[in-house]
Amino acid sequence: MKKKLALYTGCLMSTEQYGYELSVRESLPLLDVQLVDIAGFSCCGEPLKSVNQLLTLYLSARNLAIAEKHNLDVFAPCAMCHLALSECKQVLQNNPDMKTRINEMLAAEELTFEGNGEIVHTVDLLHDHIGIEEIAKHVKKPLKGLKFATHYGCHLIRPSEIGRPDDSEHPVKIEAIISVLGAETAKYPEKLDCCGGILQINLDESALTKSGQKLKAVQNQGFDGLVDVCPWCHKMFDARQVKAGETVAAKLNVPVFYLTQLLGLAFGVKKEKLGLDFNISPVDKLEIG
Amino acid sequence: MSITDLTSMGEPQVELKKEINDRLSKLQDEVSDYCYQCAKCTSGCEAHKLLELEPHKIVALLKQGLIDEMVNSDIIWTCMSCFKCRERCPQKIAPVEILFALKNLAVAGGKQVPGKYTSVLQSVLSIGLIQDAQSVTTKDMKTKTRDDLGLPPLSKPDDPAKFQAGLMKIAVEKV
Amino acid sequence: MRRIGVFVCHCGINIAQNVDVEALTKYASKLDSVVVSKSYKYMCSDVGATLIKDSIKKHELDGVVIACCSPRMHEHTFREVVSDGGVNQYRLEIANIREQCSWAHSDREKATKKAKFLVRSAVAKAKLLESLETSTLEVNHDALVIGAGIAGIQASLDLANDGFKVYLVEREPSIGGRMAQLDKTFPTLDCSSCILTPKMMEVANHPNVELLTYSEVTGIEGSIGNYTVKIKKKPRYVDVEKCTGCGDCATACRLKDRINSEFNMSRGKRGAAYMPFPQAVPLKYTIDAEHCLFLTRGKCGDKPACREACDQKAINFDQKEEIVELKVGAIVVTTGYDLLDPTSMYEYGYANSPDVITTLELERLISSSGPTLGEILRPSDQQKPKSITFILCVGSRDETECTWCCRIGCMSALKHVYLLREKLGDDVEINVCYTDVRSYGKGYEEFYRTVRGMKTNMFRGRPSEVQNMGDHQKIDIFDTTTNKLFEITTDMVVLVPALLPRADAGDFARLLHLTLSGDGFFLEAHPKLRPMDTFVNGIFIAGCCQGPKDIQDTVSQASGAASRVATILSKEELEIDPLIAAVDAEVCTGCGICVEVCPYEARVLNEKTKIAEVNDALCTGCGACIAACPSNASIHKNFTKKQLLDMVDDII
Ligand SMILES: Cc1cc2nc3c(=O)[nH]c(=O)nc-3n(C[C@H](O)[C@H](O)[C@H](O)COP(=O)(O)OP(=O)(O)OC[C@H]3O[C@@H](n4cnc5c(N)ncnc54)[C@H](O)[C@@H]3O)c2cc1C
Ligand code: SF4
Ligand code: SF4
Ligand code: SF4
Ligand code: SF4
Repeated sequence: MKKKLALYTGCLMSTEQYGYELSVRESLPLLDVQLVDIAGFSCCGEPLKSVNQLLTLYLSARNLAIAEKHNLDVFAPCAMCHLALSECKQVLQNNPDMKTRINEMLAAEELTFEGNGEIVHTVDLLHDHIGIEEIAKHVKKPLKGLKFATHYGCHLIRPSEIGRPDDSEHPVKIEAIISVLGAETAKYPEKLDCCGGILQINLDESALTKSGQKLKAVQNQGFDGLVDVCPWCHKMFDARQVKAGETVAAKLNVPVFYLTQLLGLAFGVKKEKLGLDFNISPVDKLEIG
Repeated sequence: MSITDLTSMGEPQVELKKEINDRLSKLQDEVSDYCYQCAKCTSGCEAHKLLELEPHKIVALLKQGLIDEMVNSDIIWTCMSCFKCRERCPQKIAPVEILFALKNLAVAGGKQVPGKYTSVLQSVLSIGLIQDAQSVTTKDMKTKTRDDLGLPPLSKPDDPAKFQAGLMKIAVEKV
Repeated sequence: MRRIGVFVCHCGINIAQNVDVEALTKYASKLDSVVVSKSYKYMCSDVGATLIKDSIKKHELDGVVIACCSPRMHEHTFREVVSDGGVNQYRLEIANIREQCSWAHSDREKATKKAKFLVRSAVAKAKLLESLETSTLEVNHDALVIGAGIAGIQASLDLANDGFKVYLVEREPSIGGRMAQLDKTFPTLDCSSCILTPKMMEVANHPNVELLTYSEVTGIEGSIGNYTVKIKKKPRYVDVEKCTGCGDCATACRLKDRINSEFNMSRGKRGAAYMPFPQAVPLKYTIDAEHCLFLTRGKCGDKPACREACDQKAINFDQKEEIVELKVGAIVVTTGYDLLDPTSMYEYGYANSPDVITTLELERLISSSGPTLGEILRPSDQQKPKSITFILCVGSRDETECTWCCRIGCMSALKHVYLLREKLGDDVEINVCYTDVRSYGKGYEEFYRTVRGMKTNMFRGRPSEVQNMGDHQKIDIFDTTTNKLFEITTDMVVLVPALLPRADAGDFARLLHLTLSGDGFFLEAHPKLRPMDTFVNGIFIAGCCQGPKDIQDTVSQASGAASRVATILSKEELEIDPLIAAVDAEVCTGCGICVEVCPYEARVLNEKTKIAEVNDALCTGCGACIAACPSNASIHKNFTKKQLLDMVDDII
């Protein structure tokens, strides 16, 4: 059955993390997902939650309202967006006063938030909605002989009270997807560690250290690469890998992929189309695609 | 009768504490008073090792109403919002959400916003996104725009004036 | 016309401060049929009682209303007073003007008004109350104890020594419960089996005790004094008369050392033919039907190896489940507790490494009858650990798991530190991560001090996670005494898990009509004054099935429950409260609906007269049949429709 979803790209993916956007747009339609582009979206507000949480709620509600106007469920490939939108939906649903207030503000743009749409992320879309068996049917070039470390991203799995795409302490869905693509995964102690991404805004050095520590652990444990599902995390691990390495006195050399890039590769999509040119980390090291 | 913190001569800010607690309840978090200082939050805090943030102490200070002290400190800006503290607290307290509240208070009180927050905010207020579309360089040093890549136009508020009209209302509201 | 007296109690100031008792008394005196109205500071005192009795005589009263606290508190007392005074005790009506009025309201004027309504409506009922007589019931003098841990054993022995016949039912192959799994016990470090085994033997050999092991209660009927209980005896496939406990079957079993041993908390193995532990009582083998090759597949090699090995010809695969029916007068429930499976707190690594274990597993590792014969070996590589770290309060005092304190976790961990230090010597590093050390019992704080002096690294704080680093575990802990974050690398982690109600406590409670408290343990009738009673007359609870506790408290409670049971069993007859259902034979159409709805099977339809009847001994007066009867033939004595409607009329 064809699934039709509004693609909510958020800021980071659509303004610089083109590798994610390209691979999402290439690989998901192969699984019968129809991505609909809607004009008029804005930032989800999550990066500004520290400045003004009401602003975050407002911006998220605004985006959800736009999707509702088109009667579409929302697909947010960014973990941070997904959290902001999900939290907004939950808070406003449980708090009618707040919902009314937000809707009063939204009136300026002739929008209303109802809260009846669903919000999905890459991981639950692939694992729960499409399903492992369906993915298996499309694998043409299994990713044989590779062992990946997975990075879920804090915003994707916590806080569980809000309802997240995978378990907060023992997430396994990315592993399941990678395994059906033919590659291996393994547990590693640092799996749930944070990338530090949000600190890029005000404490960049510490953000880099966080990423550096995690990448170093991944490298030392002999993984062939790291797989992530969020543009914030990916930017830290991929584009900023060398700098991150400097903060922890390590020469880092870890290929970092978006899950959707691996998906496309296993489905036989050409490298270029999946935006692998934009991966700064040494992804070419691995003989795939 | 009164309670005074003799190191700073600060006094509990009872009203402000109530305001923060109300806000937390609205966002469905447990208020700080239930914290029993097990420090599970700090043991696992992503920001602690690097930047010395002690979420259990943040909760304790809120419990005692010593709020100004935190609002005026840079430490509240070190949180990485990994949500581990909220996820694992045995008393369902969310230090991370308390930190968000404190940072919001600092901003509302006119404190200098650290780092790039000001420019990010500026950008969102004017174009609706944290930054405009960038041209990005590939590994082999080719610069590409969305257009070059065949990506559809960037989705952003089409009528900035209307968009800003909505945002303006927030300035006067509180959570 | 009735002659009713109204007596208003001040309850010190409990009632008087929010209700104008003088105005109330005066108001009552003017009500229809009321011939005297008095107030007094403490109506339940001797003086109050005399006041009531004198008034009854002086004014020739035939009905009494007392405006005071809840009938749950003093109805019983006042019934006796009224009866002493010469009025039938069931002609007493209580107006609750404390819990339902003075304590609930702060506006004195309105509260007084409400109190007047309450008294007026009580008088309306008193005008219609009937004299009732209690009947009596013969008591069965035998007792049933369910669950043979230390609580069940203690209660059984007390009752047996008092001369009562006791049936002790245990669902496992052996009695002993959790205490049998322990090595030594805090704070005195008595060897657990040394103090428990003699008691197990004593209860097994006691002429007044009949042990039913490997058995479960499946049904219960009747009420206090006369319970009929159905017990399912599971087949052991070993003839206990013939089995000498030699163990030849277990040695021969084709599944020997292939099945996780429950007794050893899966840290050791057993076969399908097995005895849970060497000191088991009865000392008989059992064949585990869930695993046994012959029983599950119909084939075990050429011939079942155990049967071939047994000289006594004790193995009998034709044994069938048996149901026995017991008649008893009272019951003690002592079914104990379970431990939290720490898998649910994934961050602590229990599901992630064999070297993260629970305290009860450690208990088996320390025990000389355990899987390592008492040697402390790290599960992953069977090497002596150089560092062991305890994490307390795992899932306890936790709003996301169990909100309560496990009450024995701190002490059990301290005990383990002591025993490990003894076994492993001074070189081994022992770390304890605690939130608060709760050492409240006699001798406990002193024990804590002793352990502090044993090179124990105490960290006040709670780790956020345990990371499995392969050959060791890594723990970050923020210690709130030094305000420092420590990184601990350690060979083994011992989690102190929360104590839970038995997994089937809910089903079991339903079976026995017991109530559960919010935490899922069995609820006592009153937390302070009736801690061993339940809301079902004749059924008592003791030990950890009522809530987490140590052995001392368990044993005290068990003895207490036994003495509560003895009070009942020692009587020849019991009085039955007449405030139960009755049938108006004129009106009954014999539809039988009441028979269906009665939860206590107290209703029968007389085949001849086609009229419903009530078995007074079984009826608890729950009222289900009254509500269900479509012809208004079911009556609740002294809660008749007329009586209740008159009360309502006078209140509105
Ligand atoms: C690791 C650890 C260490 C401890 N160390 C100490 C210590 O050193 N000192 C101390 O004082 N306390 C200690 N305790 C506490 C001690 O274990 C308990 O106080 C005690 O065992 C409670 O006894 P019980 O009879 O109430 O329950 P249990 O020992 O649980 O016995 C209940 C019995 O009922 C049976 N049963 C359950 N349901 C049914 C049913 N439906 N039908 C029939 N039978 C049933 C069970 O099989 C079991 O035999 C420790 C506890 C733990 C977890
Ligand atoms: S984990 Fe929760 S209860 Fe423990 S110190 Fe932190 S906020 Fe307080
Ligand atoms: S959310 Fe912030 S305070 Fe909480 S654990 Fe993460 S970094 Fe620490
Ligand atoms: S029949 Fe076989 S498997 Fe079953 S108990 Fe006997 S020897 Fe063991
Ligand atoms: S007894 Fe100790 S370990 Fe158990 S919950 Fe209470 S404080 Fe925690």
